[in-house]
Amino acid sequence: MSALAVFRRMHSTRGWLVFGACALVALVLIPLFHSALPPTSPLAVSDRLIALLGKFCCYAITAVALDLIWGFTGMLSLGHGVFFALGGYAMGMYLMLGIGSQGVYRSNLPDFMVFLDWKELPWFWHGFNRFFFALFAALWVPGLLAYVFGYFAFRSRIRGVYFSIITQALTYALMLLFFRNDTGLGGNNGLTDFKQIYGWPLALSQTKRMLYVLTAASLLLTYLLCRYVVTGKMGRVLRAVRDAESRVMFLGYDTRKYKLFAWTFSAVLCGLAGALYVPQVGIINPSELQPSNSIEMAIWAAVGGRGTLVGAALGAFVVNGAKSWFTVALPELWLYVLGALFILVTLFLPEGLVGAFNKLLERRGVKVAVAAGGKSS
Amino acid sequence: MTVSAPTSALSSQEVEDDRPTTEPPTVPLARDTPGRPKSGRRRAVSQERLASLVQGRKAVLCVDNVSVSFDGFKALNELTLILDAGELRCIIGPNGAGKTTLMDCITGKTRPDAGSVYLVGHGEDLIGLSEHEIAALGICRKFQRPTVFGGHSVFENLELALAGNRSVWRALFGGLSKAEAEVIDQTLETIGLKEARDRPAGQLSHGQKQWLEIGMLLAQKPRVLLVDEPIAGMTHAETERTAELLVSLAGERTVVVVEHDMEFVRNIASRVTVLHEGRVLAEGSLDQVQANSEVVEVYLGAGHA
Repeated sequence: MSALAVFRRMHSTRGWLVFGACALVALVLIPLFHSALPPTSPLAVSDRLIALLGKFCCYAITAVALDLIWGFTGMLSLGHGVFFALGGYAMGMYLMLGIGSQGVYRSNLPDFMVFLDWKELPWFWHGFNRFFFALFAALWVPGLLAYVFGYFAFRSRIRGVYFSIITQALTYALMLLFFRNDTGLGGNNGLTDFKQIYGWPLALSQTKRMLYVLTAASLLLTYLLCRYVVTGKMGRVLRAVRDAESRVMFLGYDTRKYKLFAWTFSAVLCGLAGALYVPQVGIINPSELQPSNSIEMAIWAAVGGRGTLVGAALGAFVVNGAKSWFTVALPELWLYVLGALFILVTLFLPEGLVGAFNKLLERRGVKVAVAAGGKSS
Repeated sequence: MTVSAPTSALSSQEVEDDRPTTEPPTVPLARDTPGRPKSGRRRAVSQERLASLVQGRKAVLCVDNVSVSFDGFKALNELTLILDAGELRCIIGPNGAGKTTLMDCITGKTRPDAGSVYLVGHGEDLIGLSEHEIAALGICRKFQRPTVFGGHSVFENLELALAGNRSVWRALFGGLSKAEAEVIDQTLETIGLKEARDRPAGQLSHGQKQWLEIGMLLAQKPRVLLVDEPIAGMTHAETERTAELLVSLAGERTVVVVEHDMEFVRNIASRVTVLHEGRVLAEGSLDQVQANSEVVEVYLGAGHA
């Protein structure tokens, strides 16, 4: 297939223009405003804001990855926090070793190991002093776990709500494991007090900007990859699996392999999101593995609109934007707001924000593609 | 005309590895141990057994001594059935005779307690293969309720069904070739849905969905087509078209139709197999079968009273 055909299949001209505009804002304007404008300017982007945006981009990557598996393949994962956290821990291990002897105990070992009176690095920490080794691990470790987990789950034909429940169990089990000090990943406190990444001090404004740009670029790339997948035959098979899996089997497709691909790919993307997240928030601990975290990820996708990719990313920004505001302004109300949001969206916007927006456009006579992976956007 | 269940020794043997093999087993067993074959265990076809079943006929599919029971109820009771290449076969029988269970066994949905299903030319017993493997061998099934993919367009439905490489890799990086697109367009014409090419299949009428589904089965280029109650819920005109379609499909491929409607069976004028309590009761033309006193008693008598 020619590159042009792929290009056309992914988006209409208008779709590509919108995408280009988003990329321009995210990759050029925001970094520019951050570096060039004085803090007094109304358009100035502060260090705090750019770190926040970077964090949201990580969430958005996760939401897009989750949408691939939930919105398109019909498997609601309530355990995507696992893959996010594994990616985060892999990067956290690199950052931890990057502290060197600048820790509290002035030892070459990470502080928590000194505290536990360990004399040397556990075997699985070796190699994590190299950046690319850690980045690679942040992708293959979640991928491998997802592959093995998915292989057995799909072979046993675990579907629907049972699948959701065992993914919850997975994240809960991993949380308990990571809480233990003996696991060798900082236990309760996790990994924190990072100093530098790839030679760049994390406190530096430029580093924050660079991390943000990398994350935003990763989000755009994730979106394009997923869009490529869902607009091709793979996407049509996945949607068919979602709608009538046994029928797809009787057409001669080994649906397990297709689900396994989507599931593993989704996990790898989540691992990437986790790896980008940790240097920007400065900490990774087992609370990322709380079951509620994974449920929140599903809420992002549901609020934005399942089966649209764009909706999932949008939902991640909207929900987390609201969260940032509420937890500062009315911290005790946030959980109620989140719950109410979920109920309201389920009742009144079953197709999420993007679905509602498309309906509005349709009413005004603008032709839009069908939400669930139509031909254009 | 009635095919009685043969009582001769069944000599298929379990194969340890997963490789398909066409060699006859070296040590024929006196009789397969009854009981559930282990899940996923592949067995080679016993060529001697196959030859003794076929007896020089141009057979395509042999169901050999298959038994299935659900909680003690014998849905299929040592059923043996041989389908010839290119024939149009109707399977009739009262409710609970085992018609749907038989389809389920052939397509891999249900694993029988004992027995084998052979596809002529394929070296493995179909019992033990999974649904998608059996479908990929060219045994396709149309369910009673039309199950097209409602969110996909008519064209996309046919694209999914189109025979060809089913690998994940191909789905990720492959495209539709010109020849393939042509096959789809031809199929659209055959089933009379050319105008509806880009409409979501969910918007089609009931009859159109049935045809789309038949089109999807055609696109799979099946050797054996299993059709479960094709005219349920159809209008008179749609029924007639369906009869024509099924008759035109046989010949190139074997078509098996499970149907209650005697009028319809007479219209497509095919060989008829009557099932009763999980066994073949009679086989022959509709007239022959209707003249059979046993058949009249268990089925037609009750139905025509």
